[in-house]
Amino acid sequence: MSLIYGIVTGILFGFLLQKGHVLRYDKQVGALRLMDMTIFKFMLSAIIVAAIGIYLLKDLGLIQLSMKSTSIGAQVIGGMLFGIGWGLLGYCPGTAVGALGEGRIDGLWGILGMLLGGAIYASAFPFMKAYIIPMGNFGKISLPQIIGINHWIVILIFAAFLVLLFRFFEKKNL
Amino acid sequence: MLRQPWNPYIAGGLTGVLLVLSVWIGGNFFGASTTFSRSASVIEEAVGVDTSTIEYFTTSKGKYGPNSLPNWQFMFLVGIIIGGFVASTLSGDFRIQAVPDMWQERFGPNPVKRAVVAITGGAIALFGARLAGG
Repeated sequence: MSLIYGIVTGILFGFLLQKGHVLRYDKQVGALRLMDMTIFKFMLSAIIVAAIGIYLLKDLGLIQLSMKSTSIGAQVIGGMLFGIGWGLLGYCPGTAVGALGEGRIDGLWGILGMLLGGAIYASAFPFMKAYIIPMGNFGKISLPQIIGINHWIVILIFAAFLVLLFRFFEKKNL
Repeated sequence: MLRQPWNPYIAGGLTGVLLVLSVWIGGNFFGASTTFSRSASVIEEAVGVDTSTIEYFTTSKGKYGPNSLPNWQFMFLVGIIIGGFVASTLSGDFRIQAVPDMWQERFGPNPVKRAVVAITGGAIALFGARLAGG
């Protein structure tokens, strides 16, 4: 059943990604060059809607959240490497796959590269575990938790910020 | 509506709804990068590497090992290819293209150059994603 949910969800997601024009190298790299904000509009809209929905389900007791650990070393270094790779490839992992569905051959090269990256990371894991992941490791923490305020206030502030950001995008025609 | 592009705010907002439903119904958050680690273990195993000697593939009860596939996320990625294909065909956007327009303007039409950079970029991006935890 889980496999069927997976493929159905993937088809719908791939459809929305394509319809939002997110699967394109020009849009992805355009976002990184701060020339075209399509990707950010799509991504931030998805994040705010999902944040509201997920916390609603959590408050109603319908789901439980399992958070990932915060490690400054792993996330800062990993994030920077991800950014460099994203800029070179021009797709993130999910959109590389989707770009292949749109007929873009470089999506396939991206998939090959990512398989290679997966193998290299697996072999480098003992080193990462010993030296990088312990750097600034705070365990499972969330933003509302460390500030000590209700998560709905954080979501509200984030939503207000997005409204201003989106208005700015539209005013500047980004 | 099936032929026109959609406003990115609408498509993104619907993606948020889809994510909430996915978490609610099946407990699955969206992700992609782990599948490349898992697939790498399957490929390594297939070409004769003993993946049980690689700590990463045995950690957390073999969560990233060769027996972890197929799973929800793997099928999710297969679905993205299908969804992208269906939507781009309906919209008339489907096109076999080796070199993206923006790349070609700056770096020329050589498909090998594009392939080398894309493979390198993919490897670095995935390494970073796995290090950062997704």
